[in-house]
Amino acid sequence: MAENEPKILSFLCSWCSYGAADLAGVSRMEYPPNIRVIRIPCTGRMSPKFILAGLKQGADAVWVSG
Amino acid sequence: MDPDKCIACGVCAEKCPKKVDDKYNAGLSQRKAIYVEYAQAVPLKYSIDAENCIYLTKGKCGSCKKKCPVGAVDYEQTEKKLKINVGSVILAPGFEAFNPNGLDNYQYANYPNVVTSLEFERLLSASGPTMGHVVRPSDKEEPKRIAWFQCVGSRDMNKCDNSYCSSVCCMYAIKEAVIAKEHAGDGLDCSIFFMDMRTPGKEFERFYENAKKKSGVNFIRSRVHTINPVGDTGDLELRYVTETGELKTEIFDMVVLSIGLQTPPALVDLAGKLGIELTPGKFCKTDTFSPVSTSKEGIFVCGAFQGPKDIPQAVIDSSAAASAAAEVLAEARDTKTKEVAVIEERNVVGERPKIGVFVCKCGINIAGVVDVPAVAQYAASLPYVDFVDENLFSCSQDNQNNMANLIKEKGLNRIVVAACTPKTHEPLFQETLFNAGLNKYLFEMTNIRNQNSWVHKNNPELATQKAKDLVRMAVAKVALMEPLKEVKLTVNHTAMVIGGGISGLTAAKSLANQGYETHLIEREHRLGGQALNLFHTAKGDDVQQNLSKIIESVNSDEKITVHLNTQINNVDGFVGNFVSTLSTDGKTEELEHGVAIVATGAAPLVPTEYDYGKDPRILTSLELDKKMINHDPMLKDLNSAVFIQCVGSREPERMYCSRVCCTHSIENALELKKINPDMNVYILYRDIRTYGEKEYLYKQAREQGIIFIRFSLENKPVVTSKDGNVIVTITDHVLGRPMELNADLVSLATAIVPYRDEQLANFFKVPMNEDGFFIEKHAKLGPSEFATDGTFLCGMAHYPKPIDESIAQAKASVARAVTLLSKTTIYSSGTIAEVEPAKCASCGVCVSVCPYSAPSFATEGRFAGKAEINPALCKGCGLCVASCRSGAIHLKGFDTDQIFSQIFEMDEAV
Repeated sequence: MAENEPKILSFLCSWCSYGAADLAGVSRMEYPPNIRVIRIPCTGRMSPKFILAGLKQGADAVWVSG
Repeated sequence: MDPDKCIACGVCAEKCPKKVDDKYNAGLSQRKAIYVEYAQAVPLKYSIDAENCIYLTKGKCGSCKKKCPVGAVDYEQTEKKLKINVGSVILAPGFEAFNPNGLDNYQYANYPNVVTSLEFERLLSASGPTMGHVVRPSDKEEPKRIAWFQCVGSRDMNKCDNSYCSSVCCMYAIKEAVIAKEHAGDGLDCSIFFMDMRTPGKEFERFYENAKKKSGVNFIRSRVHTINPVGDTGDLELRYVTETGELKTEIFDMVVLSIGLQTPPALVDLAGKLGIELTPGKFCKTDTFSPVSTSKEGIFVCGAFQGPKDIPQAVIDSSAAASAAAEVLAEARDTKTKEVAVIEERNVVGERPKIGVFVCKCGINIAGVVDVPAVAQYAASLPYVDFVDENLFSCSQDNQNNMANLIKEKGLNRIVVAACTPKTHEPLFQETLFNAGLNKYLFEMTNIRNQNSWVHKNNPELATQKAKDLVRMAVAKVALMEPLKEVKLTVNHTAMVIGGGISGLTAAKSLANQGYETHLIEREHRLGGQALNLFHTAKGDDVQQNLSKIIESVNSDEKITVHLNTQINNVDGFVGNFVSTLSTDGKTEELEHGVAIVATGAAPLVPTEYDYGKDPRILTSLELDKKMINHDPMLKDLNSAVFIQCVGSREPERMYCSRVCCTHSIENALELKKINPDMNVYILYRDIRTYGEKEYLYKQAREQGIIFIRFSLENKPVVTSKDGNVIVTITDHVLGRPMELNADLVSLATAIVPYRDEQLANFFKVPMNEDGFFIEKHAKLGPSEFATDGTFLCGMAHYPKPIDESIAQAKASVARAVTLLSKTTIYSSGTIAEVEPAKCASCGVCVSVCPYSAPSFATEGRFAGKAEINPALCKGCGLCVASCRSGAIHLKGFDTDQIFSQIFEMDEAV
């Protein structure tokens, strides 16, 4: 990732936001590449531990969407 | 285009030189002559617009064919005629939106800022021409004031020929106004000009009320007669008359015409060719008691061609039509089914991970941005990776065979595919694993196209780095994958239907017609439910005659067992394997069944207002029906009758519309006029909600001199008995002065009230809304089933509805139930939650949070008292896993260690 760009870790619900991220691709939208997506089956799966682990791992922000 | 070859890479559209108006975006943006109709299209394949393609019209160009990496473009394709042998036909051709071009008063064609509701819908959509940012067409400025005009092309015999109500426009206009305000903030003023606000659907009234009170949408009861442009500003001046008769002039930035639904001429022709009858509004003619059957045997209908309707009703109809068609074809079921060959699965337990990574180039879609060889080389350096391959198209058929061979040859036991999206392609690759004898869950797909090369095309270096990261994360996760089992369950082929009203009767009969043993449970001593109280339907059919016929057909059907005077004392089990305890006159019996359909209905409210019970002339609608059924002589002696609407409905404590009462009262009022044409008949109402073609009844009633007087919730009519007379006092909405009506009969249109059956809800673990109606799986897409598998819903237990809609939903619930009953076994998914009982603290959080009722406490065995999860009911959402404070629940395929492994590999220095 670029040095001065914040690193974003994101957890996307497979049913909605992950599909939306796919759609952004189909629509050829552009966004910065400093994001890493982990697909989860539902935001119900989301645990605070994942957010803490992400931050500890060096992510500047964690984005949960679903 | 050859759809088998097209990989939807989009190069063709990128290179196509021809731009045309995009019909999907209502002409508000442009697309190419080779295109995908809309981004969510399934299957995602490009097609050529032959009318606009330069090659097909002028013989030149051919750019798409040259650029297509897979040779999918074929200019030689022509229309093919196919002959298909079928046992029944279902018509679902839909509708066309009314074209307001011809309306001179609204000047849609001339004023750019007068748009149709469909155009506005596209403006609001995130995938629309403005990405959801509302701007007006003339100057692309954000509008500050928007007006909606209702009933454009509906309820109108003056400017067009559509005298019916289109049923959906009130609700969509409110929705558009609320969303526009949500998007633009408080600065936007939204006004809806309407005649009657028709929100008779489930949860619609509450939405309407919130639009007024919370969102601040203005509702103005008036039909605007003229729009004038304000100089060349693009603004529009509206002139209209208020309810009190005052002429007003206001300026708006934008006007949205709420256009109605109509049957296109081509469809009228098709109906003629098929020999099916149409209604006066050119919809398919159906009967109340067979609402999805056309006039021609074997041809069924659903959706807006059956009558203008919204999505939930269209979905109900479509399942109902499927059920009606399946009843006819019951004998042919499974005669053409082919069995899938079983492939022996290799046991990989105990083996060290041997990971195979396949990196797809997707032609140039990935390889044009991402350095695929570098990603592949990097993948080879990762732990446990034994084999790496680059593919031009990983998804192609020859590569599938190749992959299966490589898995076998190299003894690979975990597979990663770095390509497009698992949402479309995971099943394909999993099948390849299956064909190679590998458990299909030993697989992980990572998305380096849709979420990488396509969105970072100007950043190839960082996109390559991201692809490497994604592959590393996938490799780390797949190493921890284990072979998963899909639990096999047998399905009991007996059905239980709860409730012997018209919905339950119809459901039982439809199940029996499709060959399934059915038990019909009724708490009363006789079948028929609320229909026993009804005189005529809106179409004038005799309800009692038709009901007797249905009851007779149920009673004489040997596949149906009727249980009268029966209560349900307990329900155990789950999808495919329920055991219910029934108690009939003190005797109990156990019934094993595979599915349950809840058709418990609803009851009329006993009114506490309008002096009900104090005078025999003050009746409820159903009591009046009773008098009509019995040909009560008192009906002949009436000189005046007053109907009062919304008795108990649309009130703060019951914020829903009972849907049937407007039509019912008008039907009864016309009946009284038939008995005595000189009778003075008044209908006191808040909004007349004769949706669809029921509108004709309303028109007929006015033509026959029935007087409609509107009142508001704040100023209800008052019923008093004075000197032996019943007097109804109401403030006339035009004169604004109180009037006294002498009534020989007052008919109260009482609300339909749900039974709020908590016990039944607990037995099947299904939810109820705040009004006490059961909550379906999905308001739009799953209206006739519950979220809990194996349980279904129909009739008034779902929401108040007339007979035709109850019958349609009963058939719909059966269609949904038969998707289970037609199988001898069902398999759970492999990616489900599982309890580690030694860690379980029996706190019960999982039991309470699960929307699908999958967790419960074990009642016997070593782990009695600990939670256990029924694999048949688990949907693998992971809610219980995240909620478990002891970490006792594991979600297979998305387990905590697997997600952590991805997080830990997120951004290692490369």
